[in-house]
Parts: sequence; C-alpha cells; structure tokens
Amino acid sequence: MDTQSVETENPLLEGLRLRRTPEPCVLAIFGASGDLTRRKIFPALYSLAVRKLLPEEFGVVGIARTAHTTEEFVAAMEAAVREFARDEFRSDVWDRLASGTRYVTTDFADESGQDEVVMCLNDLDAHAGTRGNRLYYLAVPPTAMPTLVQELGERRTTTGWVRLIVEKPFGRDLASARELNQILASHFTEAEVFRIDHYLGKETVQNLLALRFANGIFEPIWNRQFIDHVQITVAESIGIEGRAGYYEQAGAIRDIFQNHLLQLVALTAMEPPIDFDAESVRNEKVKVLRALSTPNPRFVVRGQYGRGFIEGVEVPGYREEPVVTSDSTTETFVAARLFVDNWRWADTPFYVRTGKRLARRDTTIAIQFKRAPHPPFEDIDTLRSNVLFVHVQPNEGVSLAIGAKVPGEGMRVRNVHMDFLYGGTFRTGLPDAYERLILDTMLGDQTLFTRADEIEEQWSLVDAVVAAWARERPNFLNYAAGTWGPAAAQELVEWHR
Amino acid sequence: MASVAIEGWADDCATIDEIEDALAELRLRVGRGGVPDLRTSVLTHMAWVPAEWQAAATETLAGLGEQHPSRTLLFFPEPEEGNRLAATVFLECHPLEGDARQLCNEVVELRLGGPRAEAPASIATPLLLPDLPVFLRWRGRPPFRTNEFTQMIAIADRLIVDSAEWPDVPGAYAELEDFFEAAAFSDIAWRRTLPWREALAQRWPERPDRIAGPPAETALLAGWLQSRAGVEVAREHADELAYDDHLAASVLLSEELNVFGRDAVYEAAAQAAARL
Repeated sequence: MDTQSVETENPLLEGLRLRRTPEPCVLAIFGASGDLTRRKIFPALYSLAVRKLLPEEFGVVGIARTAHTTEEFVAAMEAAVREFARDEFRSDVWDRLASGTRYVTTDFADESGQDEVVMCLNDLDAHAGTRGNRLYYLAVPPTAMPTLVQELGERRTTTGWVRLIVEKPFGRDLASARELNQILASHFTEAEVFRIDHYLGKETVQNLLALRFANGIFEPIWNRQFIDHVQITVAESIGIEGRAGYYEQAGAIRDIFQNHLLQLVALTAMEPPIDFDAESVRNEKVKVLRALSTPNPRFVVRGQYGRGFIEGVEVPGYREEPVVTSDSTTETFVAARLFVDNWRWADTPFYVRTGKRLARRDTTIAIQFKRAPHPPFEDIDTLRSNVLFVHVQPNEGVSLAIGAKVPGEGMRVRNVHMDFLYGGTFRTGLPDAYERLILDTMLGDQTLFTRADEIEEQWSLVDAVVAAWARERPNFLNYAAGTWGPAAAQELVEWHR
Repeated sequence: MASVAIEGWADDCATIDEIEDALAELRLRVGRGGVPDLRTSVLTHMAWVPAEWQAAATETLAGLGEQHPSRTLLFFPEPEEGNRLAATVFLECHPLEGDARQLCNEVVELRLGGPRAEAPASIATPLLLPDLPVFLRWRGRPPFRTNEFTQMIAIADRLIVDSAEWPDVPGAYAELEDFFEAAAFSDIAWRRTLPWREALAQRWPERPDRIAGPPAETALLAGWLQSRAGVEVAREHADELAYDDHLAASVLLSEELNVFGRDAVYEAAAQAAARL
C-alpha cells in the first residue's frame, strides 16, 4: 500500500514522520572473519542498536572459512565494538545484539556448508522472528563473488525479501564487472543489489549535494562560465597496511580511482536531480560518467612511492613492503586531467589525484573560480582566485577563500578563508558511513549505492587508462613517501595555469 | 563533553552598547593553543525565565549550546526591583575533538528591574543575530495579554512552551490559540506525546476509549484524537505516560530547536483540547 493511500485512510498519520524502522531481517555476513566486519560492520550495527534503528526482530550470522564458535565470534565482535564504535559501550544494548548473533564456519562452496548456513538462518526465523527476510553482505574476494552469488540465487526461497550488499572491488575491469552484473541479474533484480561505495555514505559527501542544491547562490555559478577548474584529491598517508596481495592486483586506479574518485567527480558535476529518489540521483550521476572523455595519456600520471618520512618517521618504499616484488609496477598514485564533455562543463578541467603515502590524509574537492576580470588595485599580483573547498575528511566542512583588505594604508588585498566546520555546527556526532548504508539497505533505499550502469561506465574509463599504460613501462619509483606525489602530477595543474 | 564558562563582563547598570562591546571583546579573545575560538551560530535563543524557574532553566540550558551553537539571551524579569538593566556576558565553550580550537557560544544574562521587565523587546532586538531564526523559550505559564509577552512574541520566529508547566490546562489552550498567527509554536508537552501518537497511528483504526497520563499531555492527546479523527476519549490522571521515550528536558528542547514551520496538527489539537 502506498503512503498516500495509507494517509488518506488513517487520519492520525498527518504531521507524523513515523520513524523508518526496517522490517525484521537477518544480516548474513560472508567473509565475517575479515577486518571489515570487526572495524566497520559490527560497530555500525551497535550504533544503530543504540539509536533503536534496528528492527526488534533481528539477527546476524557471520560466515567465513576461519574456524570459530559462535561464542568466540561474539567475544571478538564485543571487543571490536568496544574498540571501534563511536558510542560508549552499553551492556544492555550489546547483550541484545549478541543474543541474535551466530557464526558458521564454511566457505559456502560445498553443499554441507550451504545447508548449515540455511539451517542457521531458518533457526533465526523461528526464534528471532526474522520472517525469512535476508540481507546478505558479501565481503569476500572478487574471485569468490560469482560462485557465492550463484549459490545464493539458486537457494533463494519465496519467503521474505532478499537484498545483497556487494563490497568493492566490483570486478577488476569492464569485462569482469559486466560478468558479475550478469550473474547478479540472472538471480536478483537490480532493486535487490546494493553495490557499496562507502564514500557515498559519508555525511560530508552527501553535504556536497546539500551545498549545491539547497543554496541558491552556488548553482548559478557552478559551470564553465565561472569555474576555472576543479581539483579532487583523495590522499592517504598510510601505506598498504599488509594488504599487498590485494593491492598488487588492484593498484591505486582500481582501489580508489575507479570508485571513490569517480563518484566525487560525478557528484560535483551532476545536474540537479528532480528529486532525491534513488533513480533520479543515479540517472544524473551516470550521465556525468558517460560524458567523461578518455584522458589523453599525456595527462595521466602514475606513480609509486619510494622510501620517505611520514610524520618524522622513516617508512619503507612500496617495493620494500612485505610480499611486494622488487620490480613491481603497481601504481600507488594516479593523477589525471579529466573533461566532462557536456554543456555545463565543456573545456573545464577536473584534476583528480589519489595516492598512498602522501603528505597527509586528505579528501578535498576544490572548486577554483575564475579570477576577477579587472581588479582596480595596484597590487594585483597577490590577488588569487576564489576557491570553494569541500573538506570530505578530515576536518569535515566547507571553506571559501576570498580576498579581503589588509587593515592600514593603501589597498592591499590578502586571501582569507571563511570556514564552516561541520562538527562545530552540528554537534550530534557524524554517523559512520556504514551505519547509514546498512540502515538504507535494510530499508531498501538505493540512493547512496552504485547502479550497474554506473559501475560499467567507471570501468570503461579505467580500462582505457590501463590499456594506455600497458604500452609503456613506468618510470618508478618516482615519488618519496610523505610528499604530494610525482612532480609530473603537479605539472599537470601548472600546465593549465 | 564538559563545557567551560569563560567570564567576560558584568555590570549592575549596563547599556546595550556596553554589552555589545563586551561581546566584541570576547570575540577577539585568543583561545586555547593561541588560536581563536570557533564561532558558529545557527539561531538566537532567548529564554524568558521568571524567578521560580531559574534553577530548572539553568539545568536545561546547560550543554544546549553544544547541540545548537547560538547566542543565548536569558531574561530574568525582576519587576519588584528598581529600574535597572543588569547584564552578565560570558562564553560557554566546548572542546572540539582533534582540534586545538573550542566551539564557543555567547551567553548574555539580563536582569530586567522594575519597568524594564515590561519593555523587554527594546533590549532584545539590538542583541539578536542578524538573519538567523529567533527561538523564544517561555518558562512557566505565559502571561498572554501582557506587554512583555506580546512584545517578545513579535520579535520571535518560534515560541517554545511546555504546557505541562501550566496550572490551568486545558482551559489555557483557549488563550494560546489567539497567537497562532503571530508565531509558530512548539509545546514540549506535545512533543512528549509523540511516541504515544505514533503508537496510536500505527494501530489505527483501533481506537482507544480512555487515556491516562499527566493533565497537559492527556488533554492534547484527546484534542488530537478529536480534531484528527472525531474520536472522543475519557481522560484519567496518571503520573506517567503510557508511551514515553524518557528524553531529558534539554533533549526535548533541543529537538524543538530543529523545527521551524507552524504545526497545524498541534494547533488543531490545542484548540480542541481547550473545548474539552
């Protein structure tokens, strides 16, 4: 029954915004012994439980090859919640969550393992009242994904709903992403598939939409007429943190560029959606991705870090990391000049960069406006363009660089920043991205998830870049840890000036 | 996180200019670690606090500025005192996690002696933050027909009351409705009934025949059922609400500071409650 007809029949609903509480369900986490479950998923579930946002009838099943009992798994998750959750530990909340938590040791590849999982899920239906509703969280390596999806599809029942959260990486190129989309589509509808990109769950990323579409002053100047160029940075100061096996296969272009960075480009450049419905937002994002032209190889820079210093401590180069070979050609840095070939953005460069072991952790979108056409001051060399900075992390907020008169004689103008610090204004504590995204999945809201065609457009661009790279051997190592990447990346932007 | 009060300036015989100078002085103050404190304001928050409500008001307001960075103007009417304006200006600062800066809110306590208690708007108006909404929390039963009430409501965008603090509900709602056009209203007693209203809405068309709870909340619920669905219910007194999310007064007030427009459902409920 739609909301409108319910409201017509129920006069008491007028003016009430009934809390969106998900329907009863079981969250089954495949790959539950991994770091993601410990650091993100369980702390997020706990925070949702603290806020009474989980359904009353709820259960969690952890599934992984690592041998654990339910008791051991629950104890490990309690420790994780104590360490990583944003809320203080409350025994009453945890005990309730823990009482509906189970663990099954299996790789799900054999019949007996699958049977055991199904039995566990059915048991929760019977005892926790979860009504056959299933939320499968697929936090498994890409190689395991097709088999898992196929098995889940073949074993789906007609009772209750099914939703899948698919963790990145979603494939490793366009062909494998298409293949995975096809397998998903053969068993599940698009409305049942939630491809997660946790950047979209970040409050500050969503705030970009608020900034653009809730403020009348920005949208009229958000185009090629007024914007000189856009710079988007996703910088990490950490290295590969023991994930050499994965990173050697992925590199910076698959790890960050294909997903987070291109999502930020899409959100920055998209047209205003007609509403905040999932399809409306994703339609506009995919139009931007389609409009991205393949970058000229001259304007793509890749890099790999060598030995250097982070916060005064010497750190090894990439090729010195455990498991990485001494002649590895995996890139740990990518920068590119992109163009969105449409009416709004024609000829406006989007400089994007991402890398590991950079000078600091920083995700920022910088919108650089065109200079004032004819400043009537003598000292115009010091005049700089206005820049709107959207700080995604850390120090979440927005800054606007403007010129202001220096007090005293004459007319000297200096650049100053007006800051809006997110945490300084809204002091309720920013929810973790996973809280929002897991809750949205339970509610069936796909607005902050990536659609099949979006993923394919992203991979299409990445494949073109990777194909160009295959034709020449990279000149690695070309930046020291603790710097802002190869000099050639900086030259990309300077060339523009 | 615990807040820190930073003393500014106080005078038993103050002028608006002096108060503004004191606020400007505090703005230039160098904060922790030699960096200026952070100022962000989302509203001006005024509170009219008669003597008998001072202790409760102080408790409710503690920490509110952390959730809603604002300039807070506290008015303490003292009509029995001599003609004077006494002011205390200070900052309430909250440490920011991972940042040397503190988030500071300006608090101005104003004691309006003698006839000044009847002309508060002329004191409040120059101290309002420009272009931000003005919320007025009126502690206790508002004296609806007085100068001070009509003046203050004229400069406020939203009036927040708690009709549970009124001794004469439901009759008092009849006076309230005369002001619905003048300002948007929030009634904390109405907010307290929210879980109960949600439960009744979810059970519709099941209809209760009696409700039990404190007088203001039951009157508003009965008025709501009457105005929305034509359902008449008997009211009984009880100390507790049947459905209650047990939120502290400061949290309830904090939630009302996020509400801006008129609440037509509340207005109809209060009007119906007045006729019970």
